[in-house]
Amino acid sequence: MRRKETMSIRRRRSIFEIIGEYFESIEEMAEHLEETLIERPSWNQKTRTMEPLRDIMVTPTEVVITVDLPYTQENTIQVKPLDKSTIEISARMKRKIRFEDFGIIHHKGEFQTLHCRARVPVPVIMEKMETRLKKGILEIRLSRKHEYAIPMG
Amino acid sequence: MSKEVKIIEKKEIPAGAIMLFGFPDVGLVGVVAASHLISELNLIEVAYLDSRLLPPLIVLHEGLPHSSIRIFGNHNILLAVSETPLSADTIYPIIMYALIDWGKSKNVGMMISLSGIPIQERQDAQDLKVFASASSPDMLKIVQDKGIEILREGYMVGPQAIMLQTCARIGLPALTLLAECFLNYPDPEAAAEVLKELANITGVKVDVTKLLEKGEEIRLRARDVMRRTQQELAKMKKTQEYDIPVYVS
Repeated sequence: MRRKETMSIRRRRSIFEIIGEYFESIEEMAEHLEETLIERPSWNQKTRTMEPLRDIMVTPTEVVITVDLPYTQENTIQVKPLDKSTIEISARMKRKIRFEDFGIIHHKGEFQTLHCRARVPVPVIMEKMETRLKKGILEIRLSRKHEYAIPMG
Repeated sequence: MSKEVKIIEKKEIPAGAIMLFGFPDVGLVGVVAASHLISELNLIEVAYLDSRLLPPLIVLHEGLPHSSIRIFGNHNILLAVSETPLSADTIYPIIMYALIDWGKSKNVGMMISLSGIPIQERQDAQDLKVFASASSPDMLKIVQDKGIEILREGYMVGPQAIMLQTCARIGLPALTLLAECFLNYPDPEAAAEVLKELANITGVKVDVTKLLEKGEEIRLRARDVMRRTQQELAKMKKTQEYDIPVYVS
């Protein structure tokens, strides 16, 4: 039965769709590599944002994203899916943070928002997102989408 | 001491001191605890480490250059601390051996590494446990008598592993204190717990109230060091500490 479903899904996709998806995945991989390999500061003077620490864990049934959001106001936390594999997280801090607060005077600027994007490495059901904040750690749980299974035997 | 690493003394080093280590590791427990010890006990820089093996990096304080690995102290404590994560493959072992050799030459009475042990669902943990491992059965008994749980089986990865093994070999009493903590996020609460147990064992007491009050500020400030530490921990295969060991008798 499952094999028939898989076959029917495959029949609906044209070669152009498959090639399109292939290029899309290459683009995603390139973006991911750029994010991880290119050094950049953890703050942005232009957008007045600081990048929080985040972590992604994949389990057999769900993807758990955690984000460390110190100094933030709980009611300002926003979690937005940007597409099927990217989530944007932002939160306003309780007060403006300036470089001077850290003893730095050779940079100027102030920040009041923590902002980051998290790329989900496996298909998930974005609509089934659960969030909670505990001890300043935002936890986002997403159910995994198993698009097809390889039949045994 | 290795020819590649020099420890330059700036002050007279007391004999018989307790030597502590606070290096970047999981949850930055050691670094945060060390930083709090320095400010609460007004420890001063007594020595620093210089080596051509170190990356081309200095730490500027008040416009003046400082080594990223420094030793702070007073009449009875020596505290080795690094402000930046160090390379896992070559620098860590060489630096640890140099520091241990130096400590031995100063007749330190005991070495204690302050660090963390990551747990899943850390944000749900109410009371953080502190575990200990020791260089000898006598040291194990001391911590057990103080009511600290022993890390009985498992793997240990990082500078504390080198410290314990080396101290066991040379017969220098040593302990590693590991507070339950976040793996990838700075954890001031865990640092506070490790400092409480340090006081329990050595009598070196510090008030952790300020540390806990400043917890959010520390987490915000320590993001960059934590991020770079994560990269080194990955190279060091730190997650091996989660592995279940094969018992070889």
